[in-house]
Amino acid sequence: MNMDRYSRQSFLGPNAEELLSRCTIGVPGLGGGGSHIVQQLAHIGFQRYVLYDDDVVEESNLNRLIGATPADVLAATLKLHLAKMMIYRLQPKAIVRGFACKWQENPEPLRECQIVVGCVDSYKGREELEIACRRYLMHYIDIGMDVHGKERPVIGGQIIQSSPGGLCMRCMGFLTDEKLATEAARYGNAGPRPQVVWPNGVLASTAVGLAVDLVTNWTRSGRSHAYLAYDGNAGTVKESLTLRNLKITACPHFPDADIGDPVLVAL
Amino acid sequence: MKTEIRLNGALYAKIIQDLTRPHPFAAERVGFVFCRRGSLRDQGSLFLLTRYHSIPDNQYIDDPAVGARIGSEAMTWAMQAVYHGRPAREGIFHIHLHGHRGETGMSGTDAREIPKLIPGFQSVGREAAHGIIILSADHGSGWVWLRGSAEPVHADCVSVIGTPVGVFERGRKK
Repeated sequence: MNMDRYSRQSFLGPNAEELLSRCTIGVPGLGGGGSHIVQQLAHIGFQRYVLYDDDVVEESNLNRLIGATPADVLAATLKLHLAKMMIYRLQPKAIVRGFACKWQENPEPLRECQIVVGCVDSYKGREELEIACRRYLMHYIDIGMDVHGKERPVIGGQIIQSSPGGLCMRCMGFLTDEKLATEAARYGNAGPRPQVVWPNGVLASTAVGLAVDLVTNWTRSGRSHAYLAYDGNAGTVKESLTLRNLKITACPHFPDADIGDPVLVAL
Repeated sequence: MKTEIRLNGALYAKIIQDLTRPHPFAAERVGFVFCRRGSLRDQGSLFLLTRYHSIPDNQYIDDPAVGARIGSEAMTWAMQAVYHGRPAREGIFHIHLHGHRGETGMSGTDAREIPKLIPGFQSVGREAAHGIIILSADHGSGWVWLRGSAEPVHADCVSVIGTPVGVFERGRKK
């Protein structure tokens, strides 16, 4: 272990680099949020990655996709390739398993992760990732942002931690049947939503902070869940009011026994 | 082909708390923990622990020759539980704790005695995997008898999905 490299993060604990290097972390979605995430994970010392993205770099990505250049638009570079190169430049010994597909098309590699950071656009996508994480016992961290209104635009976003045994995104009031139904009525198409680089950076940095704390427990918070709300106009990240006012303490949506591969029972 | 045993942080804490309680006469405690299987790439397997069963004090046998010996009542309970868990293909692991730090393995007594339990579990839960887990103060090791197998697979890793995340790898220092 190179002590100089990590000397400025020694407050994370004496074994932090070892702990980070042993943890396998998954990032489905390597766009505006995911590209920030993998860059920071590689800087901080994560060594094992499972990445998914089937998109190539387009002109409209250049305002926020970390590492992308106009040459990548011309070459139709896979976002996955950019993410892998970013990691290998910072961590030449990293083990990166990358898949140019949606994670649902090849879900088994994702199950090797201890932590998954979801950078997907839709509520349905978030729900599916959370279900997979609960079923195969993985921490799930979700990030997302949106811009509402045209006259007076408002930037909002969230960073959520959903961990096995803790409250889930439904418990925390983030995922609701109404949101899923509204989205489904649009055939799951979120459309070309406004996206800019700096809110993605705030959300990604906060998510990486949660991931590092999960591995090292440097804050000693022992947090079982988190729902942080981003106000891009005020420039603040605060605990969600929904979470603060929540009455439930145990998740009724994911029973402890509902894990592993589904088993077909002969009737 | 990767084999990993995985449990959440709350279950890990519950197991550690129970196994570190003193017993009226036994030198150590043992327990049972149930598991379900998840498939990994290349025929690898995740063994996902669901719930823990603490063995009541009066189901131990006073045998100074070993750290802990459990009686027929505890074994009958475990075999019945495996039988009832057949529809979900729920397997069972014998679990105990070694007090030292770092990677641990089976003691001579462990290797001689505990594997004898496995054929009994296999006879009532033949579709499930069963095994042995030994935890240390900061690590853990596991052996899994896959369906129908007479020999165990030494798990590559035991991971605890809590805060902090624990990734206890075989053959790698803490």
